[in-house]
Amino acid sequence: MHDRGYIVSASSLSDHIPDLDLITYYAETRQTCFSKVSPWTKFSLLILIVLLVTLTRDVIILTALYCIVLLAYAGARLPVRTLFAWYALPVIFVLSLAGIMAWNEPGNAVISFSIAGIPFVLTDNGIMLIVILLLKALIVVTYSMFFLMTTRYQHFSAMIYRIFPSPIDQIFLMAYRFLFLTLAMIGSILKAVHSRGGGLIHSIRMQGRLFADIFALVFIRSFDRSERVHKAMIARGFSGSYGTAAEVPGLRMSEYLLVGVSAALVLAVALITPRFGG
Amino acid sequence: MHHDKERELIHVDCASHIYPDGSVGIHDMCFFVQKNEIVALCGPNGSGKSTLIEHLNGLLTPSKGNIAVNGRSITTEEHTDLWREVGLVFQRSDDQLFAPTVLDDVMFGPRNMGMSPDAAKAAAMEALKAVGAEDLVDKLPNYLSGGQKRLVSIAGVLAMKPHIIALDEPTSDLDPVHSGMVEHLMVDLKERFGMSVVIATHDLDLAARVADRICLVRQGSVFAEGVPDEIFYDEVLLQETGLKPPQIVQMYLAYCQTLGIIADHHPITIEEMMEVIRSNTTGQS
Repeated sequence: MHDRGYIVSASSLSDHIPDLDLITYYAETRQTCFSKVSPWTKFSLLILIVLLVTLTRDVIILTALYCIVLLAYAGARLPVRTLFAWYALPVIFVLSLAGIMAWNEPGNAVISFSIAGIPFVLTDNGIMLIVILLLKALIVVTYSMFFLMTTRYQHFSAMIYRIFPSPIDQIFLMAYRFLFLTLAMIGSILKAVHSRGGGLIHSIRMQGRLFADIFALVFIRSFDRSERVHKAMIARGFSGSYGTAAEVPGLRMSEYLLVGVSAALVLAVALITPRFGG
Repeated sequence: MHHDKERELIHVDCASHIYPDGSVGIHDMCFFVQKNEIVALCGPNGSGKSTLIEHLNGLLTPSKGNIAVNGRSITTEEHTDLWREVGLVFQRSDDQLFAPTVLDDVMFGPRNMGMSPDAAKAAAMEALKAVGAEDLVDKLPNYLSGGQKRLVSIAGVLAMKPHIIALDEPTSDLDPVHSGMVEHLMVDLKERFGMSVVIATHDLDLAARVADRICLVRQGSVFAEGVPDEIFYDEVLLQETGLKPPQIVQMYLAYCQTLGIIADHHPITIEEMMEVIRSNTTGQS
């Protein structure tokens, strides 16, 4: 699918894995008020949000924060249904951890049973723990997607170049484009496999072998490609580092105010949270 | 073609290259490039064209023999800045474009040359304008078409203002429109920018249209060289190299055979072919 010169992948690897092409498409083409907000403002708010979800366990604050970031995401005209599909991975991650931790939490029993004489009790506090951890994960995921999908890549890469020391910035700047190429390569290998009837589940053993073969092929091709890219860089005098030319738009007065108020709110939550002496 | 030593920019003297796995890349290769000319290295796949091109930029050094650029030997002298004099455009643009944006990529070479960010940006903008891709400046390389990627790749080299630009299969995988743009650009590099251009290709139609001199490459060495009409009308030579004559040549020979006339002209472009047909038609009437 083409739109204003951008190609949106017709089929991503899975509906439940964030699609890099789609994220970049929205970042480069969507023009809403959120796209005009300085990337530094969005980055500062990301730090504050991470701080806030680390500090608080208050379900009301977390629910309110989740609603705010989800509204911002929808307000930026980003695809909400796609976001819910992308929640699959963080939800599985949280459930795999909290699903174990939640059992036998002190509180009022909701479900209880025993296996081989070992009692298992799921209490109201256990359920609350799952809800809180899920909310925390989804807030960060939603805001991160909002940040990525409303910030042009040239600004994003320029921020990375300014924030991180070398060689982390160099690795990031090169990895991004390489990631696109590798994903395209995997996509074409999978197409070739499907076009000859492969990829259908015949047996777990066969499926495992197929994925191992694809992984090995992608690894070898990526290695080969990285050698060619390096050669092309040497041909233009590469001596170990390179930068990016883009300027990141600065904060406006209203944005300073927004960040200041947000920081004050986080500080207030920190002060009223028992662990931090409130 | 007359070999003028004073105009010589590159001199490859019996160079050989053996890869670590023992395969021979080039063998006793003798080759030269003069100021302000377009040389086409023509040969089938695996004949050693790309290996030779990588030697011109210093990416590879010969195992035997000598290569001199602007009179300085790359094998015996300290000549580590060869990339400033010979720009390379690779066959696969995806291997060349690695930076986050088009501007960053085109600025990469000038920045490595020690230019300030402002000067590098000006050089990049000038190069993008020269190839007709200034509107792509803020784009991400991932979202460019194959033809646009090729133009940006050429701009990335042009921004360094080298004396020589070597292009490996410059029009492979391109649509006819972008292929035509790249073709005009190669002529422009010579005529407007006074550069020498080396192209490695097995597209003899392209070579016939743009090259001043043809070098046929076979099994790692230059097998024959000469002006296009001399080379492309020697069917035996082309057959021995594993190539077929350009379409214009095939068409002209078929035309002469059909009319029962002697193929005494050697047209290699559409314009020249039209001129021959016109003169024959006028002669008959």
